Amino acid sequence: MSASESVPSLFVGFSRFVAADEPARASSELVWSDDRSQTEDVTRSKVLIVDDQRLIADTLAEILGNSGFDAVAAYDGFDALEKASRFQPHWVVTDVLMPRMNGVELAIAMRKNFPNSAILLFSGQAGISEILQDGHRQGYQFELLAKPIHPLKLIERLREN
Amino acid sequence: MASDVDQVTVSRSAIPEPATPTTPPDPHQHLAALVDCSDEPIISKRLDGTIISWNAAATRVFGYQPAEIIGKSILTLIPPELQHEEAEILRKLRAGERIEHFETVRMRQNGERFPISVTISPIRDAAGNVVAASKIAHDISERRKTEESLSRLAAIVDSADDAIISKTLNGIVTSWNKAAQRMFGYTAEEMIGQPILRVFPEGLFYEEDEILRKLRAGERIEHYETTRKKKNGELFQVSVTISPIIDNSGKVIGASKIARDISDKKRVEQLLIQSEKLAATGRMAAAIAHEINNPLESLINVIFLARQHSAPESRVTQLLLTAEQELERVSHIARQTLGYYKDTGAPTSVYVHELIQNVLTVYNSKVMSCDIAVDSRFNDLQKISVSKGEILQVLSNVMANAIDSMKQGGVLTITTRDVHAAPDDGIEVVFRDTGTGIAQNNLSRVFEPFFTTKGILGTGIGLWVAKQLVSRRGGQISIASSTTPKESGTTVTIFLPFVQPPSSTEGETE
Repeated sequence: MSASESVPSLFVGFSRFVAADEPARASSELVWSDDRSQTEDVTRSKVLIVDDQRLIADTLAEILGNSGFDAVAAYDGFDALEKASRFQPHWVVTDVLMPRMNGVELAIAMRKNFPNSAILLFSGQAGISEILQDGHRQGYQFELLAKPIHPLKLIERLREN
Repeated sequence: MASDVDQVTVSRSAIPEPATPTTPPDPHQHLAALVDCSDEPIISKRLDGTIISWNAAATRVFGYQPAEIIGKSILTLIPPELQHEEAEILRKLRAGERIEHFETVRMRQNGERFPISVTISPIRDAAGNVVAASKIAHDISERRKTEESLSRLAAIVDSADDAIISKTLNGIVTSWNKAAQRMFGYTAEEMIGQPILRVFPEGLFYEEDEILRKLRAGERIEHYETTRKKKNGELFQVSVTISPIIDNSGKVIGASKIARDISDKKRVEQLLIQSEKLAATGRMAAAIAHEINNPLESLINVIFLARQHSAPESRVTQLLLTAEQELERVSHIARQTLGYYKDTGAPTSVYVHELIQNVLTVYNSKVMSCDIAVDSRFNDLQKISVSKGEILQVLSNVMANAIDSMKQGGVLTITTRDVHAAPDDGIEVVFRDTGTGIAQNNLSRVFEPFFTTKGILGTGIGLWVAKQLVSRRGGQISIASSTTPKESGTTVTIFLPFVQPPSSTEGETE
């Protein structure tokens, strides 16, 4: 099954799938924000952090929340797509090597369904070039950051545009 | 008439007359006997082509008894398609001309055709008129066969891709085919009569003694892989098979040697080993990278958060800050050694000197602790489109080498400048250190994978990776070095053209 075929179909079915498989997931969503009232502030940048390693997703979401972003953590691609549909993030920062749906598949689904969200990939692994090239062949290019990245550098990057 | 023939025949055969004949034999009888004893067919004919004499050898070669053929036309012996030859022969004979060693085809009584060489002379009467012709024929079927098989063999030997050489048991070359000329660079004229040792590298002369010893014992040497030397001094790898040449009596009289150039094969083998090593290292690096970089990411975030949650001026904050810096160092090393992945992100437009400043910041503590003074002069005025990650990796690897070579301190000069020169405009970066330098014999190998002069401390991939990345960007990296005391040091020059090569924007598979 090639990524080009799998991603859209996966996305179409994702909400049903997630609802059936992990009904508790939506309620475990973490929204880090110093001041709830600022959540509605249109100037506040919304960031969705996706990593199957929860510690990474959670800590980054917390750090970004502390730094004036509206940040939500998601722990896999389906989770991310579901949260994105409600959260409408300006940014999606996603790990690449994740089970079930990899970061590039997620990014392509995001491009198709939420064209207004900018996407940043971040990965700690050298072995992802094939996954990136899969996306490449379908005409998608994504910016890739190397893990580990210092939070301040990530923040700097997110503030660039 | 027959006597005329005999006279002519004998004079042609140049048989010396007896010096002092005591009882002179009948010359006619004597000559008739000679003709009949001859191994060669001797025939005479009139100018109309009628055969008038026929010796025993003619009977043996052509099959006709004299009684069957005398009085018949010479055309009986000539294949129908060649009978036009006879007219020409007769024309020449009438003109008094002699035809020598004319090679043609004749027919035996049983119809078999065979190659023959004939010499035909006019026979004159007392008045000097040509009245008949003598014909001495030589059956050359056997010679032709030998010639053909020899020339076929020679053609095979000469068209072979392998060098085929023969030599005496004293190692003197006796034949040298075209492939040998191509392979070794010496012509046959240059080698025949010369010792085969000319193509041996000095250190391998002993091999010839051993080869000759085995050959004298009648042994064959098969697929022996060794090194030989070309005329221009270049050494190359060959596989040789040497067989004794044995004469009819079973005596070894020389040796034939078939040599195949296996340099390419060896090179491919070497590359294969290297790329296998590299692939294994790559797989390992990828696996380790995943296991290290993710916890590092978590750890950095956790410490960053812990710092945010501690009192700003407290000891805890200070300690966490130190921990963060140390982690940053670990992260950098992990990226350097494990993080060799293709940055397939879109290239961005940057100033090269900004990237260098980045690298300088990372290495700052190391530079300070080694007492290295950095002198940088940045004159790159134009941004260049590069993959930041890749070029940072290149600069870091070069920087790390410079620092490693200046353990006792020194000066690192880094310059950047725009170069406007055909065929490419671009940016030139030069790292010049005053370190220990690299020995000349190692210098040519520094861009090879797994080559390191740092012993167990080096991975041997830094400069190799740098070269790959720079080449992929369409640039060049070169190195010059001196180990002369007091003047030692290494200069690495990197050139990056402004124009991105088309291939680098395309996704490559590896």
